[in-house]
Amino acid sequence: MSFGDEFLDNLLPPQEEEGKLRVRVLPGEEPGSASFQIDDEDHTLGNALRYMIMKNPHVEFCGYSIPHPSESVMNIRIQIYPEYEEETRPVDALMKGLDDLRDLCDVVEEKFVAARDSFNEEQGV
Amino acid sequence: MDDTFDEMYGSDRGPQITIKEADNTHAQIALSNCDLSFANAFRRIMLAEIPTIAIDLVFIEANTSVIPDEFLSHRLGLIPLDSANIDDKLVYTRDCVCDQYCERCSVTLTLNARCTSDVPMTVYARDLAVQAGAQCGQPVITDPEGLGTIIAKLRKGQEIKLTCVAKKGIAKEHAKWSPVSAVAFEYDPHNKLRHTSYWYEEDAKAEWPPSKFADWEDPPQEGEVFDYDAVPNTFYMDVESVGSMAPDEIMQQGIKYLQQKLMDVMKGLNGEDQMEDDGGLRSPGADGGDYQMGGMGGGQGYETPFGGQDGRTPYGGGYGATTPYGTNGWA
Ligand SMILES: [Zn+2]
Repeated sequence: MSFGDEFLDNLLPPQEEEGKLRVRVLPGEEPGSASFQIDDEDHTLGNALRYMIMKNPHVEFCGYSIPHPSESVMNIRIQIYPEYEEETRPVDALMKGLDDLRDLCDVVEEKFVAARDSFNEEQGV
Repeated sequence: MDDTFDEMYGSDRGPQITIKEADNTHAQIALSNCDLSFANAFRRIMLAEIPTIAIDLVFIEANTSVIPDEFLSHRLGLIPLDSANIDDKLVYTRDCVCDQYCERCSVTLTLNARCTSDVPMTVYARDLAVQAGAQCGQPVITDPEGLGTIIAKLRKGQEIKLTCVAKKGIAKEHAKWSPVSAVAFEYDPHNKLRHTSYWYEEDAKAEWPPSKFADWEDPPQEGEVFDYDAVPNTFYMDVESVGSMAPDEIMQQGIKYLQQKLMDVMKGLNGEDQMEDDGGLRSPGADGGDYQMGGMGGGQGYETPFGGQDGRTPYGGGYGATTPYGTNGWA
Protein backbone atom coordinates (compact mmCIF):
# COMPACT_ATOMS: atom_id res chain seq x y z
CA MET A 1 0.00 0.00 0.00
CA SER A 2 2.82 2.41 0.73
CA PHE A 3 3.94 2.03 -2.85
CA GLY A 4 0.83 3.85 -3.98
CA ASP A 5 1.32 6.73 -1.63
CA GLU A 6 4.98 7.29 -2.39
CA PHE A 7 4.08 7.37 -6.02
CA LEU A 8 1.43 10.00 -5.34
CA ASP A 9 3.79 12.06 -3.19
CA ASN A 10 6.16 12.32 -6.09
CA LEU A 11 3.40 13.70 -8.24
CA LEU A 12 2.51 16.46 -5.79
CA PRO A 13 4.12 19.87 -6.11
CA PRO A 14 7.01 20.50 -3.72
CA GLN A 15 6.00 21.85 -0.32
CA GLU A 16 6.10 25.62 0.05
CA GLU A 17 9.31 26.74 1.67
CA GLU A 18 8.93 27.56 5.32
CA GLY A 19 8.14 31.19 6.09
CA LYS A 20 7.42 32.17 2.52
CA LEU A 21 4.67 34.76 2.45
CA ARG A 22 1.48 34.04 0.56
CA VAL A 23 1.01 37.70 -0.30
CA ARG A 24 4.10 39.53 -1.42
CA VAL A 25 4.94 43.02 -2.64
CA LEU A 26 6.61 43.00 -6.02
CA PRO A 27 9.67 45.15 -6.73
CA GLY A 28 9.07 48.74 -7.79
CA GLU A 29 6.78 49.74 -4.97
CA GLU A 30 6.18 53.47 -4.45
CA PRO A 31 4.08 55.42 -1.91
CA GLY A 32 0.99 55.56 -4.09
CA SER A 33 1.43 52.41 -6.10
CA ALA A 34 2.32 48.80 -5.63
CA SER A 35 1.95 45.41 -7.20
CA PHE A 36 1.20 42.40 -5.08
CA GLN A 37 1.65 38.75 -5.78
CA ILE A 38 -0.76 36.26 -4.25
CA ASP A 39 -0.08 32.53 -4.29
CA ASP A 40 -2.68 29.99 -5.38
CA GLU A 41 -5.23 32.48 -6.60
CA ASP A 42 -6.68 32.85 -10.07
CA HIS A 43 -9.43 34.63 -12.01
CA THR A 44 -12.00 33.57 -9.40
CA LEU A 45 -10.60 36.05 -6.92
CA GLY A 46 -8.64 38.25 -9.32
CA ASN A 47 -11.41 39.76 -11.37
CA ALA A 48 -13.88 40.21 -8.53
CA LEU A 49 -11.21 41.79 -6.33
CA ARG A 50 -10.04 44.04 -9.15
CA TYR A 51 -13.61 45.25 -9.59
CA MET A 52 -14.05 45.90 -5.87
CA ILE A 53 -10.79 47.80 -5.57
CA MET A 54 -11.69 49.94 -8.58
CA LYS A 55 -14.90 50.90 -6.74
CA ASN A 56 -12.76 52.59 -4.08
CA PRO A 57 -12.82 56.32 -4.89
CA HIS A 58 -9.19 56.70 -3.76
CA VAL A 59 -8.02 54.21 -6.33
CA GLU A 60 -6.92 55.47 -9.70
CA PHE A 61 -6.10 52.11 -11.22
CA CYS A 62 -6.34 48.46 -10.39
CA GLY A 63 -5.56 45.56 -12.67
CA TYR A 64 -4.69 41.92 -12.26
CA SER A 65 -2.96 39.27 -14.27
CA ILE A 66 -1.98 35.65 -14.18
CA PRO A 67 1.55 35.92 -15.52
CA HIS A 68 1.82 32.32 -16.62
CA PRO A 69 -0.78 29.54 -16.62
CA SER A 70 1.58 26.96 -15.15
CA GLU A 71 2.55 29.10 -12.17
CA SER A 72 -0.28 29.37 -9.64
CA VAL A 73 0.21 33.01 -8.77
CA MET A 74 -1.84 36.09 -9.37
CA ASN A 75 -0.44 39.63 -9.63
CA ILE A 76 -2.54 42.63 -8.72
CA ARG A 77 -1.52 46.24 -9.33
CA ILE A 78 -2.98 49.16 -7.37
CA GLN A 79 -2.40 52.87 -7.96
CA ILE A 80 -3.80 55.55 -5.67
CA TYR A 81 -4.73 59.07 -6.81
CA PRO A 82 -1.84 61.36 -5.75
CA GLU A 83 -4.17 63.46 -3.57
CA TYR A 84 -5.10 60.41 -1.49
CA GLU A 85 -1.61 58.95 -1.20
CA GLU A 86 -1.28 60.19 2.36
CA GLU A 87 -4.37 58.45 3.71
CA THR A 88 -4.54 55.36 1.57
CA ARG A 89 -1.63 53.10 0.84
CA PRO A 90 -2.00 50.46 -1.85
CA VAL A 91 -2.10 47.78 0.86
CA ASP A 92 -4.98 49.57 2.52
CA ALA A 93 -6.89 49.58 -0.75
CA LEU A 94 -6.18 45.88 -1.18
CA MET A 95 -7.44 45.15 2.32
CA LYS A 96 -10.50 47.28 1.81
CA GLY A 97 -11.22 45.50 -1.45
CA LEU A 98 -11.09 42.12 0.28
CA ASP A 99 -13.24 43.39 3.10
CA ASP A 100 -15.85 44.89 0.77
CA LEU A 101 -15.98 41.70 -1.23
CA ARG A 102 -16.65 39.83 1.97
CA ASP A 103 -19.51 42.20 2.76
CA LEU A 104 -20.90 41.57 -0.71
CA CYS A 105 -20.74 37.82 -0.05
CA ASP A 106 -22.63 38.35 3.21
CA VAL A 107 -25.41 40.18 1.38
CA VAL A 108 -25.60 37.59 -1.38
CA GLU A 109 -25.79 34.79 1.16
CA GLU A 110 -28.58 36.58 3.01
CA LYS A 111 -30.47 37.16 -0.23
CA PHE A 112 -29.94 33.59 -1.31
CA VAL A 113 -31.30 32.12 1.90
CA ALA A 114 -34.33 34.41 1.70
CA ALA A 115 -34.97 33.51 -1.94
CA ARG A 116 -34.63 29.79 -1.22
CA ASP A 117 -36.97 29.92 1.74
CA SER A 118 -39.66 31.80 -0.15
CA PHE A 119 -39.24 29.45 -3.12
CA ASN A 120 -39.64 26.42 -0.85
CA GLU A 121 -42.69 27.97 0.72
CA GLU A 122 -44.30 28.56 -2.67
CA GLN A 123 -43.58 24.98 -3.65
CA GLY A 124 -45.00 23.78 -0.37
CA VAL A 125 -41.78 22.04 0.69
CA MET B 1 -22.00 44.47 7.84
CA ASP B 2 -20.50 47.94 7.89
CA ASP B 3 -21.74 51.01 6.08
CA THR B 4 -19.38 50.91 3.16
CA PHE B 5 -21.59 48.60 1.17
CA ASP B 6 -24.65 50.80 1.52
CA GLU B 7 -22.61 53.86 0.71
CA MET B 8 -21.36 52.17 -2.37
CA TYR B 9 -24.59 50.80 -3.70
CA GLY B 10 -27.40 52.48 -1.78
CA SER B 11 -29.35 50.25 0.53
CA ASP B 12 -32.12 49.62 -2.00
CA ARG B 13 -29.95 48.40 -4.78
CA GLY B 14 -27.83 45.65 -3.41
CA PRO B 15 -27.64 42.34 -5.23
CA GLN B 16 -30.86 40.35 -5.66
CA ILE B 17 -31.39 36.64 -6.13
CA THR B 18 -34.46 35.02 -7.64
CA ILE B 19 -34.92 31.30 -7.89
CA LYS B 20 -36.73 30.44 -11.08
CA GLU B 21 -36.87 26.68 -10.89
CA ALA B 22 -35.31 24.10 -8.60
CA ASP B 23 -35.39 20.42 -7.74
CA ASN B 24 -32.88 17.98 -6.32
CA THR B 25 -30.76 17.86 -9.48
CA HIS B 26 -30.66 21.45 -10.68
CA ALA B 27 -31.53 25.03 -9.83
CA GLN B 28 -32.08 28.04 -12.06
CA ILE B 29 -31.31 31.36 -10.48
CA ALA B 30 -31.12 34.98 -11.53
CA LEU B 31 -28.50 37.09 -9.79
CA SER B 32 -29.11 40.77 -10.42
CA ASN B 33 -27.69 44.16 -9.47
CA CYS B 34 -24.23 42.78 -9.30
CA ASP B 35 -21.14 42.85 -11.44
CA LEU B 36 -20.08 40.29 -14.00
CA SER B 37 -16.84 39.68 -12.13
CA PHE B 38 -18.67 38.65 -8.96
CA ALA B 39 -21.19 36.46 -10.77
CA ASN B 40 -18.30 34.78 -12.55
CA ALA B 41 -16.42 34.25 -9.30
CA PHE B 42 -19.52 32.56 -7.92
CA ARG B 43 -19.78 30.32 -10.98
CA ARG B 44 -16.09 29.40 -10.90
CA ILE B 45 -16.11 28.59 -7.21
CA MET B 46 -19.09 26.24 -7.59
CA LEU B 47 -17.30 24.47 -10.43
CA ALA B 48 -13.90 24.04 -8.88
CA GLU B 49 -13.57 24.84 -5.20
CA ILE B 50 -16.30 23.12 -3.23
CA PRO B 51 -15.06 19.99 -1.46
CA THR B 52 -16.77 16.67 -2.10
CA ILE B 53 -15.73 13.07 -1.64
CA ALA B 54 -14.49 10.86 -4.48
CA ILE B 55 -12.55 7.63 -4.85
CA ASP B 56 -8.86 8.47 -4.88
CA LEU B 57 -7.00 5.20 -4.31
CA VAL B 58 -7.88 1.79 -5.71
CA PHE B 59 -6.24 -1.44 -4.59
CA ILE B 60 -6.95 -4.09 -7.17
CA GLU B 61 -6.81 -7.66 -6.01
CA ALA B 62 -8.26 -9.20 -9.14
CA ASN B 63 -9.35 -7.78 -12.43
CA THR B 64 -9.91 -10.25 -15.21
CA SER B 65 -12.42 -8.05 -17.00
CA VAL B 66 -11.70 -6.53 -20.41
CA ILE B 67 -11.20 -3.13 -18.80
CA PRO B 68 -7.59 -2.41 -17.78
CA ASP B 69 -6.84 -1.52 -14.15
CA GLU B 70 -6.14 2.17 -14.74
CA PHE B 71 -9.23 2.58 -16.88
CA LEU B 72 -11.33 0.93 -14.18
CA SER B 73 -9.77 3.11 -11.47
CA HIS B 74 -10.55 6.22 -13.45
CA ARG B 75 -14.18 5.16 -13.84
CA LEU B 76 -14.42 4.50 -10.12
CA GLY B 77 -13.04 7.95 -9.36
CA LEU B 78 -15.77 9.59 -11.42
CA ILE B 79 -18.68 7.93 -9.58
CA PRO B 80 -20.54 10.59 -7.57
CA LEU B 81 -20.55 9.80 -3.85
CA ASP B 82 -22.85 11.34 -1.28
CA SER B 83 -21.12 14.49 0.00
CA ALA B 84 -23.93 16.27 1.85
CA ASN B 85 -22.59 18.26 4.82
CA ILE B 86 -19.15 16.82 4.18
CA ASP B 87 -17.41 19.55 6.16
CA ASP B 88 -18.93 18.19 9.36
CA LYS B 89 -18.03 14.61 8.53
CA LEU B 90 -14.63 14.40 6.92
CA VAL B 91 -11.29 16.22 7.02
CA TYR B 92 -8.71 16.42 4.25
CA THR B 93 -6.16 13.63 4.46
CA ARG B 94 -3.38 16.24 4.46
CA ASP B 95 -4.88 17.85 7.58
CA CYS B 96 -5.39 14.55 9.38
CA VAL B 97 -3.18 13.19 12.12
CA CYS B 98 -2.95 9.74 10.56
CA ASP B 99 -0.04 8.48 8.47
CA GLN B 100 -1.91 7.57 5.31
CA TYR B 101 -5.68 7.61 5.66
CA CYS B 102 -8.13 6.71 8.37
CA GLU B 103 -11.83 6.92 9.22
CA ARG B 104 -11.62 10.63 9.95
CA CYS B 105 -10.34 11.46 6.49
CA SER B 106 -11.53 8.68 4.20
CA VAL B 107 -14.28 6.24 3.40
CA THR B 108 -13.51 2.74 2.18
CA LEU B 109 -15.63 1.03 -0.48
CA THR B 110 -15.22 -2.52 -1.69
CA LEU B 111 -16.29 -4.14 -4.92
CA ASN B 112 -16.52 -7.86 -5.36
CA ALA B 113 -18.14 -9.08 -8.54
CA ARG B 114 -17.86 -12.31 -10.49
CA CYS B 115 -19.88 -13.49 -13.46
CA THR B 116 -20.95 -17.10 -13.26
CA SER B 117 -23.72 -17.20 -15.83
CA ASP B 118 -23.67 -17.34 -19.61
CA VAL B 119 -25.36 -13.97 -19.73
CA PRO B 120 -22.88 -11.07 -19.46
CA MET B 121 -23.13 -9.34 -16.12
CA THR B 122 -23.17 -5.57 -15.56
CA VAL B 123 -21.45 -4.14 -12.50
CA TYR B 124 -23.17 -1.03 -11.17
CA ALA B 125 -22.33 1.60 -8.57
CA ARG B 126 -24.83 -0.05 -6.21
CA ASP B 127 -22.43 -3.04 -6.04
CA LEU B 128 -19.90 -0.89 -4.21
CA ALA B 129 -20.12 -1.75 -0.52
CA VAL B 130 -19.44 1.19 1.77
CA GLN B 131 -17.60 0.56 5.03
CA ALA B 132 -19.91 0.06 7.97
CA GLY B 133 -20.75 3.23 9.86
CA ALA B 134 -19.68 5.61 7.09
CA GLN B 135 -21.52 8.93 7.34
CA CYS B 136 -20.97 9.85 3.73
CA GLY B 137 -19.52 8.41 0.55
CA GLN B 138 -22.44 6.19 -0.47
CA PRO B 139 -22.65 5.95 -4.28
CA VAL B 140 -25.29 8.31 -5.63
CA ILE B 141 -28.16 6.38 -7.17
CA THR B 142 -30.96 8.34 -8.79
CA ASP B 143 -32.36 5.99 -11.45
CA PRO B 144 -35.72 4.35 -10.71
CA GLU B 145 -34.20 0.86 -10.84
CA GLY B 146 -31.72 1.80 -8.13
CA LEU B 147 -28.66 0.65 -10.05
CA GLY B 148 -26.46 3.71 -10.35
CA THR B 149 -23.56 4.28 -12.72
CA ILE B 150 -22.28 1.36 -14.82
CA ILE B 151 -18.74 0.43 -13.79
CA ALA B 152 -17.94 -2.53 -16.06
CA LYS B 153 -19.39 -5.57 -17.80
CA LEU B 154 -18.19 -9.09 -17.09
CA ARG B 155 -18.35 -12.28 -19.16
CA LYS B 156 -18.59 -15.74 -17.70
CA GLY B 157 -15.64 -16.44 -15.41
CA GLN B 158 -14.44 -12.83 -15.26
CA GLU B 159 -13.98 -11.14 -11.92
CA ILE B 160 -13.36 -7.77 -10.31
CA LYS B 161 -12.22 -7.59 -6.71
CA LEU B 162 -10.95 -4.35 -5.31
CA THR B 163 -10.89 -1.88 -2.42
CA CYS B 164 -11.35 1.84 -2.95
CA VAL B 165 -10.38 4.69 -0.65
CA ALA B 166 -12.49 7.78 -1.13
CA LYS B 167 -11.08 11.09 0.08
CA LYS B 168 -12.17 14.69 0.35
CA GLY B 169 -10.93 17.04 -2.33
CA ILE B 170 -11.74 19.88 -4.69
CA ALA B 171 -12.17 19.98 -8.46
CA LYS B 172 -9.24 22.35 -8.84
CA GLU B 173 -7.13 19.26 -8.18
CA HIS B 174 -9.21 16.76 -10.14
CA ALA B 175 -12.58 17.25 -11.88
CA LYS B 176 -13.97 14.13 -10.18
CA TRP B 177 -14.41 16.26 -7.06
CA SER B 178 -16.71 18.77 -8.75
CA PRO B 179 -20.21 18.86 -7.22
CA VAL B 180 -21.62 20.05 -10.54
CA SER B 181 -21.69 18.65 -14.03
CA ALA B 182 -22.14 22.16 -15.36
CA VAL B 183 -23.08 25.65 -14.33
CA ALA B 184 -24.87 27.33 -17.20
CA PHE B 185 -24.18 31.04 -17.25
CA GLU B 186 -25.87 33.69 -19.34
CA TYR B 187 -26.64 37.39 -19.42
CA ASP B 188 -28.48 39.74 -21.77
CA PRO B 189 -30.61 37.08 -23.53
CA HIS B 190 -31.80 39.57 -26.14
CA ASN B 191 -28.25 40.65 -26.95
CA LYS B 192 -29.12 44.29 -26.35
CA LEU B 193 -25.52 44.93 -25.32
CA ARG B 194 -24.29 43.43 -28.59
CA HIS B 195 -21.64 41.39 -26.81
CA THR B 196 -22.16 38.74 -29.45
CA SER B 197 -23.17 38.64 -33.07
CA TYR B 198 -25.36 35.88 -34.39
CA TRP B 199 -24.34 34.05 -37.52
CA TYR B 200 -27.27 33.69 -39.90
CA GLU B 201 -28.26 32.67 -43.38
CA GLU B 202 -31.17 35.02 -43.95
CA ASP B 203 -32.59 36.24 -40.66
CA ALA B 204 -30.83 35.83 -37.33
CA LYS B 205 -34.06 36.30 -35.38
CA ALA B 206 -35.84 33.50 -37.19
CA GLU B 207 -32.89 31.12 -37.14
CA TRP B 208 -31.84 31.42 -33.49
CA PRO B 209 -34.24 30.08 -30.89
CA PRO B 210 -34.68 32.44 -27.93
CA SER B 211 -32.87 31.58 -24.70
CA LYS B 212 -34.89 29.99 -21.91
CA PHE B 213 -34.27 33.18 -19.96
CA ALA B 214 -35.49 35.48 -22.75
CA ASP B 215 -38.90 36.08 -21.21
CA TRP B 216 -37.24 37.32 -18.04
CA GLU B 217 -36.14 40.49 -19.75
CA ASP B 218 -37.98 42.98 -21.95
CA PRO B 219 -37.29 42.42 -25.62
CA PRO B 220 -35.78 45.43 -27.40
CA GLN B 221 -38.32 47.96 -28.66
CA GLU B 222 -38.63 48.54 -32.36
CA GLY B 223 -36.06 51.16 -33.34
CA GLU B 224 -34.53 51.28 -29.84
CA VAL B 225 -31.33 53.32 -29.70
CA PHE B 226 -28.21 51.38 -28.74
CA ASP B 227 -27.12 52.24 -25.22
CA TYR B 228 -23.37 52.13 -25.30
CA ASP B 229 -23.14 52.83 -21.55
CA ALA B 230 -25.13 49.76 -20.59
CA VAL B 231 -23.38 46.95 -18.71
CA PRO B 232 -24.61 43.46 -17.91
CA ASN B 233 -26.59 43.54 -14.70
CA THR B 234 -28.54 40.30 -14.40
CA PHE B 235 -26.94 36.88 -14.63
CA TYR B 236 -28.82 33.65 -15.15
CA MET B 237 -27.31 30.46 -13.87
CA ASP B 238 -28.39 26.88 -14.00
CA VAL B 239 -26.56 24.78 -11.44
CA GLU B 240 -26.61 21.12 -12.44
CA SER B 241 -25.60 18.84 -9.62
CA VAL B 242 -23.92 15.48 -10.25
CA GLY B 243 -25.92 14.22 -7.29
CA SER B 244 -23.28 14.28 -4.57
CA MET B 245 -24.84 17.46 -3.11
CA ALA B 246 -28.18 19.23 -3.50
CA PRO B 247 -28.04 22.35 -5.70
CA ASP B 248 -29.11 24.41 -2.73
CA GLU B 249 -26.13 23.22 -0.69
CA ILE B 250 -23.79 23.77 -3.65
CA MET B 251 -24.82 27.41 -3.91
CA GLN B 252 -24.49 27.99 -0.21
CA GLN B 253 -21.13 26.29 -0.06
CA GLY B 254 -20.09 28.44 -3.04
CA ILE B 255 -20.62 31.62 -1.09
CA LYS B 256 -19.03 30.09 1.99
CA TYR B 257 -15.86 29.11 0.15
CA LEU B 258 -15.66 32.47 -1.59
CA GLN B 259 -15.66 34.06 1.85
CA GLN B 260 -13.16 31.52 3.08
CA LYS B 261 -10.87 32.44 0.21
CA LEU B 262 -11.10 36.13 1.11
CA MET B 263 -10.35 35.38 4.75
CA ASP B 264 -7.30 33.35 3.75
CA VAL B 265 -5.86 36.15 1.66
CA MET B 266 -6.57 38.66 4.42
CA LYS B 267 -4.73 36.44 6.84
CA GLY B 268 -1.84 36.12 4.43
CA LEU B 269 -1.71 39.89 4.15
CA ASN B 270 -2.03 40.49 7.85
CA GLY B 271 0.52 37.96 8.97
CA GLU B 272 -1.87 35.32 10.26
CA ASP B 273 -2.55 36.78 13.70
CA GLN B 274 -4.25 40.14 13.34
CA MET B 275 -7.67 39.11 12.13
CA GLU B 276 -9.15 37.35 15.09
CA ASP B 277 -8.56 39.90 17.85
CA ASP B 278 -9.77 43.14 16.32
CA GLY B 279 -12.67 41.41 14.66
CA GLY B 280 -12.19 42.92 11.25
CA LEU B 281 -10.27 45.59 9.52
CA ARG B 282 -10.04 49.28 9.81
CA SER B 283 -10.92 51.23 6.74
CA PRO B 284 -8.10 53.10 5.08
CA GLY B 285 -7.67 56.50 6.64
CA ALA B 286 -9.52 55.63 9.83
CA ASP B 287 -7.25 56.10 12.85
CA GLY B 288 -4.27 56.52 10.62
CA GLY B 289 -4.96 53.19 9.02
CA ASP B 290 -1.78 51.60 10.23
CA TYR B 291 -2.09 47.88 9.90
CA GLN B 292 0.35 45.70 11.64
CA MET B 293 2.16 44.83 8.51
CA GLY B 294 3.14 41.49 9.94
CA GLY B 295 3.14 39.60 6.70
CA MET B 296 5.10 42.18 4.91
CA GLY B 297 7.74 43.05 7.40
CA GLY B 298 6.08 45.69 9.54
CA GLY B 299 6.99 49.29 9.96
CA GLN B 300 7.85 51.82 7.32
CA GLY B 301 8.65 50.90 3.78
CA TYR B 302 7.68 47.33 4.47
CA GLU B 303 10.48 44.96 3.77
CA THR B 304 9.85 42.70 0.90
CA PRO B 305 11.51 39.52 -0.11
CA PHE B 306 12.60 41.44 -3.17
CA GLY B 307 14.72 43.79 -1.13
CA GLY B 308 14.13 47.16 0.30
CA GLN B 309 16.27 46.35 3.29
CA ASP B 310 19.48 48.19 2.51
CA GLY B 311 18.60 47.95 -1.12
CA ARG B 312 19.51 44.32 -1.51
CA THR B 313 17.87 42.49 -4.31
CA PRO B 314 18.10 38.90 -5.32
CA TYR B 315 19.71 40.21 -8.45
CA GLY B 316 22.73 41.33 -6.54
CA GLY B 317 23.96 44.85 -6.11
CA GLY B 318 23.78 46.21 -2.62
CA TYR B 319 25.83 43.37 -1.18
CA GLY B 320 28.88 45.59 -1.49
CA ALA B 321 28.84 44.93 -5.20
CA THR B 322 29.28 41.23 -4.61
CA THR B 323 27.04 39.39 -6.97
CA PRO B 324 26.42 35.69 -7.05
CA TYR B 325 29.00 35.69 -9.78
CA GLY B 326 31.30 37.19 -7.20
CA THR B 327 34.34 39.34 -7.21
CA ASN B 328 35.96 37.24 -4.57
CA GLY B 329 37.21 33.83 -5.31
CA TRP B 330 36.86 33.57 -9.01
CA ALA B 331 37.66 37.01 -10.30
ZN1 LIG C 1 -6.81 10.30 8.60
